[in-house]
Amino acid sequence: MSELERLRHAMRATERPDAGLDLSAVMREGRRLRTRRRVAAAGAATLATGLAAAVVAVAVGVSGPGDPTPTEPLPPAAVASPTVADSPTAQKSPDRTPPPTLASDRPLAKPLGQLVDSGVRHGSERRMYYFVPVSVPGQPKVSIGLAAGRQTPGGSLTTDILVNDVEGSDRSAGFHQIGYDERSAAAPVPTFGYFVGPAKRIIGTVDGRQVDARVTRWSLDSQVVIFWFDPAHLTPGERLDGIIARDGGGRRL
Amino acid sequence: MARGDADFVEFARVASARLVHAAFLMTGDHHQAEDAAQTALVRTYASWSRIHDDDAYGYARRTLVNHLVDGWRRPMREYPTDEVPERRRDDVADDVATRRWLIAILGALSPRERAIVVLRYYFDLPEAQVARELSVSVGTVKSTSSRALEKLRSATPRMADEEARR
Repeated sequence: MSELERLRHAMRATERPDAGLDLSAVMREGRRLRTRRRVAAAGAATLATGLAAAVVAVAVGVSGPGDPTPTEPLPPAAVASPTVADSPTAQKSPDRTPPPTLASDRPLAKPLGQLVDSGVRHGSERRMYYFVPVSVPGQPKVSIGLAAGRQTPGGSLTTDILVNDVEGSDRSAGFHQIGYDERSAAAPVPTFGYFVGPAKRIIGTVDGRQVDARVTRWSLDSQVVIFWFDPAHLTPGERLDGIIARDGGGRRL
Repeated sequence: MARGDADFVEFARVASARLVHAAFLMTGDHHQAEDAAQTALVRTYASWSRIHDDDAYGYARRTLVNHLVDGWRRPMREYPTDEVPERRRDDVADDVATRRWLIAILGALSPRERAIVVLRYYFDLPEAQVARELSVSVGTVKSTSSRALEKLRSATPRMADEEARR
């Protein structure tokens, strides 16, 4: 028997007939998730107009194209909270936030600080990254999430993916959630995320190849480094095998 | 129970053992595997009206794999090859030996390699489909499979020696 045949055999021979899953719990959580998705979709549609108007006003009046800073009050965040571990009250609360990288839920919330123009273009739209407020049940130290969106020449913003921590602290040192394209948006989303600490370089590894990310500091907290990978160097959606950060002296953080 | 719910229960009863086992092969941890399979089934049920006439099993499998791969976003984890993550006293000797060999072999692979090996050789998916489900190129699947099998070949003699010494 070759190694491959032995591997196939072993993978099948070690199957256990009883998975031991609680199907009642599965269906209960599935119904909650379905409800949240419906509410999220409705909320996102309602908010699109208000957010677009605010961004246009700022782009013209304050920061100029490519780096707008919303300063006007915006509507509250859209609903989206499909994390299966959420509390039962989540479906009733219109200010919950989504788990990482679920593109099917597209919240629109007031961006915190300046929007970051990635330099990536999708036709006439610009790929932007920005933090938005989030709320995770039972996790008081998680209050921000990083969103990837597209901005039209008119200034309206469409959120494609929002990633946020679901436990711990969103300001703890090191890497946080990384967002990958899920082929659900109108345009591919370059891989992105944030790091907390004095990082000057962010380097991803994929198939033994190193890829440098583009980095910039968040306008509201200089310890927060937003990074994204040029889609020409890392195909959107392609999973990283590893990622590291280095400081200005080249030391690994 | 609505007809759709009954269909889902039937589907889940048939599919769950395989989903849990696939997650176990990718993680080496039974608890994590059960959590991942449960999450995949929750999301499958949430989309059931849209997918149940199409390829529900494929949807659940893709959801499971993506969920696990997303869990590896953070810096690389190490899978020591000479440690067995879990042993069950009630397993018969052959099952224990096979499981030990399997976990050690898979533990020598990176998360991406494990995912590709499981999709390719446990689910028997063609390379093109593995590439689609992991959002990578076919070339990446080929090269990663090749590298994983090379590790497999190099690890087997060493493990056979270790088994012989026991």
